[in-house]
Amino acid sequence: MSGIEAVKRIVETEAKARTIVEEARVRAQQILSQASQETENVRQHVLSSAKARREEILQSAREHAESEAGKSDVETTQQLEGYRKAFEGRKELAVKKAVELVLRG
Amino acid sequence: MSESFEKLQNRILSDAKVRAEDIIREAEEKARQTLEQAKTRALKEADETLSRARLEAEALRRRILSSRIRANRLRILDEKNRIVQQVMQSVENALADITADERFPDTLKRFVTEAVEAVGADEPIVRIGFREISKNQTDAIGKSVSKGTKLVIDEQALDGLGGVVASDPEGKILYNNSFKARLDRLDSQLLTLISSTIFRE
Repeated sequence: MSGIEAVKRIVETEAKARTIVEEARVRAQQILSQASQETENVRQHVLSSAKARREEILQSAREHAESEAGKSDVETTQQLEGYRKAFEGRKELAVKKAVELVLRG
Repeated sequence: MSESFEKLQNRILSDAKVRAEDIIREAEEKARQTLEQAKTRALKEADETLSRARLEAEALRRRILSSRIRANRLRILDEKNRIVQQVMQSVENALADITADERFPDTLKRFVTEAVEAVGADEPIVRIGFREISKNQTDAIGKSVSKGTKLVIDEQALDGLGGVVASDPEGKILYNNSFKARLDRLDSQLLTLISSTIFRE
């Protein structure tokens, strides 16, 4: 093999070597790019799950509170009904006592 | 010469492959770390979101409950107030018609006496005004007052419901003993009396 031929082969081999390294760099870039995408996907998934759970917690709290408030409504309605009955039953007595108070002072 | 040349070529390619493997391994390691860190950060954010959500939920629960309880308290107060006002209206109606009541003569005497004593004048002027007061009733009161007292019988019920107003001759001292005035003076006692009678509270 002549010296020129040898140099030519070395140059070709080094070109192959550069190609191997360059392809590895491209592949590395792809790996990082995929990782970046996957990172964003994971983040979105975790955060959207948390957001959905947050909505569930608030909705549950709202429903429980409405249920408790409903009991208060029922108790109040019963209390009002009691007042109305008391009014019907004791109105005359209350008027009589009040008139007596005004007259006697 | 040829063998060592081939070795040189192989060495060049082998170094390149090692270098390539390092590059890819570094990228994979960096990708793994990035993903791990991102997961950790996202989970932390999610935890914070849920912690805040639990606080918000408690605040929401309290807001809903306190709002409804406040509204129900207002309903109760409105109803009690409405009932008391109805009783008061009946009281006013009964007072306006007092001249037909057997207690009226004594009541009128007492009202006049109270008003005259409050004014403290020797020759007080006493205005009397009740709806449908009879001549007999006014005559009776005329006989019961002291000689210096001047009686003025009003055809209209004083202050709308009736009553007695006494003053000195100059009109400087005046005592309003109308039902309206008495209702105002007794307002707090009346509300307590009516509430305790109706609501037993």
